Amino acid sequence: MYSTKQRIIEASVRLFNENGMDSVRLQQIAEEVGISIGNLAYHYKNKEMIVASVYEQVIEEFNEILRQYLANPTLADFDSQISQYYHFFLRNHFFLPEFFKNNRTQLQHQAEWQACIRKMNIQIRSRLGFMVVQGYLSPETSDELYDVLSEQIWMSIAFFVPKCNLTGQPSDEGAYKKCVWGLIKPHFTAHGKQEFYNLIQSYWWI
Amino acid sequence: MKPFFDMDSAAYRMLMEGLNRQYSFEKKGNLADFAVYNDDLWLADTAVIQNVHRFKGEWAVDLLFVSIHTPLRFIRRHITSHPCPKRALQKAEYMRRLAAKDQRGTLVAKVELLKLCHN
Repeated sequence: MYSTKQRIIEASVRLFNENGMDSVRLQQIAEEVGISIGNLAYHYKNKEMIVASVYEQVIEEFNEILRQYLANPTLADFDSQISQYYHFFLRNHFFLPEFFKNNRTQLQHQAEWQACIRKMNIQIRSRLGFMVVQGYLSPETSDELYDVLSEQIWMSIAFFVPKCNLTGQPSDEGAYKKCVWGLIKPHFTAHGKQEFYNLIQSYWWI
Repeated sequence: MKPFFDMDSAAYRMLMEGLNRQYSFEKKGNLADFAVYNDDLWLADTAVIQNVHRFKGEWAVDLLFVSIHTPLRFIRRHITSHPCPKRALQKAEYMRRLAAKDQRGTLVAKVELLKLCHN
């Protein structure tokens, strides 16, 4: 059984996703959880505190995905991380637009989010390096080829769900994965292609 | 809210490289590579030579097992150490007699077999 605090956070995330962060009122959150507004005020004094807790949870969730880096040395490891990224960005798609807002002073959660993104970028680049050493990817033919590729992969991972929202298309995990792997595929060696087919592509149709 | 901790990007990059290196990229070895551990028959035909030397403030007792057919094939093993040199020599003698195939020491490594060039 979840604690009330946890239920409040989950309901808040749901409402933030549906209606946007600014338009959600405490009354709505209390109704969503099924508690009185007085009870809600007992747990969180105001909306700012709820928002801070939501941010904390979301960043912790993201860090958990980052911690999955290279749990096993195969291509399937990245594939499972891509799945987790997809579900994260789908679950928290209210989250990204908040960081495009202009603030005169950077808030703590913005700084934390930036740190997470920096780590994610470094991880992707490092993973490409790992794939090269393992023989899955061909060696870098020109300077910064994989630096640029890692940036592109990051953009696909982060902005696929907002793109679907923008175009009104339903987002789909298979299409998401194809989009990310599609960037890496042209650089595969014969061994990489074989490994990719055995471990990943053959499971896409199941 | 928890205090914000941010790791330096360069340090994080190095951490990732370390994680990459945790998996070995080398190919599997052959069973023949372990022959050095299993192939110990040659030790039956070895001259055992005791060696006592100072090491870390004590007298270390080493035994040298030299093949009597090809003296360049040898191994050296540290046996024990003792603070007193006389006792160390005594121990070395006992250990040599214990380890040698022939306690009288008839198996010897001949220097001629090394085929040294005196030019």
